[in-house]
Amino acid sequence: MVSVMPQARPARTKKRVRSAPYIFIGLAVLYLLFFTAFPLLTGVNLSFTDSKLLNPSAGTYVGFDNYSALITSGAFLKSVSTTLIYTAATVIGCLVLGTASALVINGFLPGRAIARTIMVLPWAVPTVALALVFRWIYNDTNGIAGDVSQGLGLGQVGWLIDPNYGMLAVVIATVWKLAPFVMLIVLAALQSVPEELYEATRVDGADAFTTFKQVVLPQIAPTMRVVALLMTIWSFRRFEIIWLLTGGGPVDATTTIVINVYRQAFNNGNLGLAAAAGVLGLLLSLIVTVVYFFVEQRATKANGIES
Amino acid sequence: MIGRRNLSIGVRTLLALALVILAGFPVFWMINTAMTPVGDLYANNQRIVPDFSRTLNIFQVLVSDSPFLRWLGNSALVAGGTTMLSLLLACLAAYALSRYKFVGKGLMTFGFFATQMLPEALLIVPLYSMFMTLGLLNELYGLVLVNTAFAMPVAVFLLKSAMDTVPYEIEESARVDGCNALTILQVMFIPLIAPSLAAAAVITFFDGWNEYLFATTFIHDTANWVASTGLASFIGEFTTPLDMVFSGAIVFTIPAAIFFLLMQRKIVAGLTAGSVKG
Repeated sequence: MVSVMPQARPARTKKRVRSAPYIFIGLAVLYLLFFTAFPLLTGVNLSFTDSKLLNPSAGTYVGFDNYSALITSGAFLKSVSTTLIYTAATVIGCLVLGTASALVINGFLPGRAIARTIMVLPWAVPTVALALVFRWIYNDTNGIAGDVSQGLGLGQVGWLIDPNYGMLAVVIATVWKLAPFVMLIVLAALQSVPEELYEATRVDGADAFTTFKQVVLPQIAPTMRVVALLMTIWSFRRFEIIWLLTGGGPVDATTTIVINVYRQAFNNGNLGLAAAAGVLGLLLSLIVTVVYFFVEQRATKANGIES
Repeated sequence: MIGRRNLSIGVRTLLALALVILAGFPVFWMINTAMTPVGDLYANNQRIVPDFSRTLNIFQVLVSDSPFLRWLGNSALVAGGTTMLSLLLACLAAYALSRYKFVGKGLMTFGFFATQMLPEALLIVPLYSMFMTLGLLNELYGLVLVNTAFAMPVAVFLLKSAMDTVPYEIEESARVDGCNALTILQVMFIPLIAPSLAAAAVITFFDGWNEYLFATTFIHDTANWVASTGLASFIGEFTTPLDMVFSGAIVFTIPAAIFFLLMQRKIVAGLTAGSVKG
């Protein structure tokens, strides 16, 4: 093709057009096409059929029936709002607790290395092990969380069996596991805040909160926006921790969209309906991503005008 | 550094102590439970201080006649297979992304990132029927294949940013000596990016090690269960003693925790590289 005159081009191999890059990247691309893109399209296709789990290929096309059934069903709409509540609570919880932890641990502290290791530990615990221990902590007759709620005067709360507390219990466990991840990222961003900025505000006699708001926050804001996006996307599709703690219960209190998809498919056997719910869930995270990039672009533009 | 945030060290130490207790408690509770004789767990005065004379009790789960050791072995096979397949594909892909300009590069990069957004719960339905047709259900290598699809893109981003830091001059000289791209990748790049390669290996390994959704949906035969499925099966059943369950959970957690703690910085870089740098 273009490589007839290789000498005329700059020496860097990067500029040449050849088949090598396609061979190198092709394996991974084909792999992903086969194991993610193809199933994704199959899933979209399934969402327009009435396929059943026992014989997936025997479904017939029903047009938008599954979608109209979903958006008129209270159960699905509730799972959407449950997803949004779960996402908002975990993202905010992780950002606040993770950032606070990073601020506390940034800089000199006695025993900092050990403290840091223990604070990161939850993130390293596999979800299944985490679910086991939280189920035991939340156990309604012998769990230590029951002792705590009694101590607080709330009485013996059935954390995983009382619909009023199920979501809170799941959110606490999720934040416990993921706040350390936010802490690590914010900690890395904090290291890049120039020392002179602190000096300047200290001379001004600013208190800790003012320093944080006016000096630290603007510096780490871009990082926090990226973390917020990642956390949001991950929360939309998070399955294991909810499934293992409550299975979507008590009384659907924690049935998010993905839990709904899984139950429809593997408990009720309605593959078509499950796929449609999954497609709607995916659209939701697409919208969030698009909004994020829109906001990010406006933020970049605004900064450009300022400086 | 001292006092640079105007919050006194005393206050920060107290806050740090509170956070350490908060973060460490569930892990501590897991250990404490594993060391407590079952009879005492349901007593009203459950002990708060672990009985360290029962430390070895934790590892008895490995030699007991429960199938746990076998499940751990299956987990290791799945995780090891996922690592090898992911790294092979990711090394080649990352090399192309780092060193070549080609039509469709942006689209492919986006494609790698987009896989991070796909809910497994949506894909699992069509994957299940695909695997049924291909006869991959109930097979450990079926899990390797599907785990790789989710673990590999992260490895691609991590390795690409590592390869970006390798100077062009190094491969120029090798190219003059007549080495082809594959040899350059093998002989020159792999040693230079070894730390990132190790990080990618850890990430992909524990993706496979911790994975639960596919494992529990695709594998029905208990002999082929992996440890995550096996441990989760203890939920809601009351015949396995609780100290045994938690011993299993600890044994399952230890390798993951050690490697995650050692590699934390690299792993964070890998998980965010795709979205920060595009």
